[in-house]
Amino acid sequence: MKKVLLEALGVALVGTLVAFLANGLSPRGLVLDHDYFPSAGAARTSHPASGTHTNSPTEMLAASLKSVGLELIDSNQVLRLYHDPRRDQDLLLFVDAREEDPYAAGHIPGAFEFNHFHAEKYVATVIPACQVAQQIVVYCNGGNCDESRFAALALRDYLSGVSKTNLLIYGGGMTEWATNRLPVEIGERHSGRLLDYDAVATPGR
Amino acid sequence: MSSPLSSRKDLLIDGAAVLSRWVLGGLFVWMGLQKALHPEPFIILVRQYELVTNFYLLNVISAVLPWFEVFCGLLVLAGIAVRGCTLVMLALLIPFTLLILKHALALASAGSLALCAVKFDCGCGNGEVYVCHKLAENSLLILLAAGLLCVHRRRWCARFSLW
Repeated sequence: MKKVLLEALGVALVGTLVAFLANGLSPRGLVLDHDYFPSAGAARTSHPASGTHTNSPTEMLAASLKSVGLELIDSNQVLRLYHDPRRDQDLLLFVDAREEDPYAAGHIPGAFEFNHFHAEKYVATVIPACQVAQQIVVYCNGGNCDESRFAALALRDYLSGVSKTNLLIYGGGMTEWATNRLPVEIGERHSGRLLDYDAVATPGR
Repeated sequence: MSSPLSSRKDLLIDGAAVLSRWVLGGLFVWMGLQKALHPEPFIILVRQYELVTNFYLLNVISAVLPWFEVFCGLLVLAGIAVRGCTLVMLALLIPFTLLILKHALALASAGSLALCAVKFDCGCGNGEVYVCHKLAENSLLILLAAGLLCVHRRRWCARFSLW
């Protein structure tokens, strides 16, 4: 039994070293000293005072975003911004905080891809565009998805002088957007390919 | 001189041991790679379990654990340090299975659901699954690992024991 324990210890030690090395060499490896969820602790520890009424999930989300200096917008507000003429001039930007594959599968037309886990990939494209934009709407899947919050915080780190009113979080996210059958662009930004909801609903027809 | 019956029995046990190694090792490699090649969803899931509050520890667990699984899986597949590896696998499987159960019970209670109706992504590498299926799968893996730990079968092992 002692030999088995020693063997297990050996496997564990060598395995740990190999794992660290593999993570370091992997192009998708995590950076160990990077906080991928900044201000998450502050946002999570806010509790309603005893005796107050129970807040709705939306109110709680708005309060938690406000605590980190971000503003939540709803579907009506996001639709107004989508139709705002400033969007055509790239003075109003949409930023998709999800990973590459969900982004390519469908995003709000004209939205930039910005995965905060690999923010350095987007320094040359997204950051310069955000620096001249007057307003930036960040979204992810919506619901329990936190990615838009962390993407917005990462963007704020890169952009100096970005005030609260410039960075907005669309709480409903892509799930709500698609549920409302709003335009969805497939592939890369400005690909021109829009999702055909009817074709998706009735395949083969 | 061994009888034909005991030879046949030995062959069956050897076959079961080899098959167990391949299933256990193969699954560990597959699930480990799913997480290692897509670390972002995995770190989000690890965070949801609220095991650690320090971001450095969170990053280390999320970065190292998947590759560690792949490493152990490859060793078991090749038949190297089999008993040590399976002991390590048990040390990973048992607490993780209990964690999944705890999380599922919390979700079931919060949603007033039956336990087996709970479905979520446990961070195992195969997306959202019904918790009962996952618990059954993990229980099988625990049995396989425990069996390999107890049975000294060296057939088709590159190096069954390190010494």
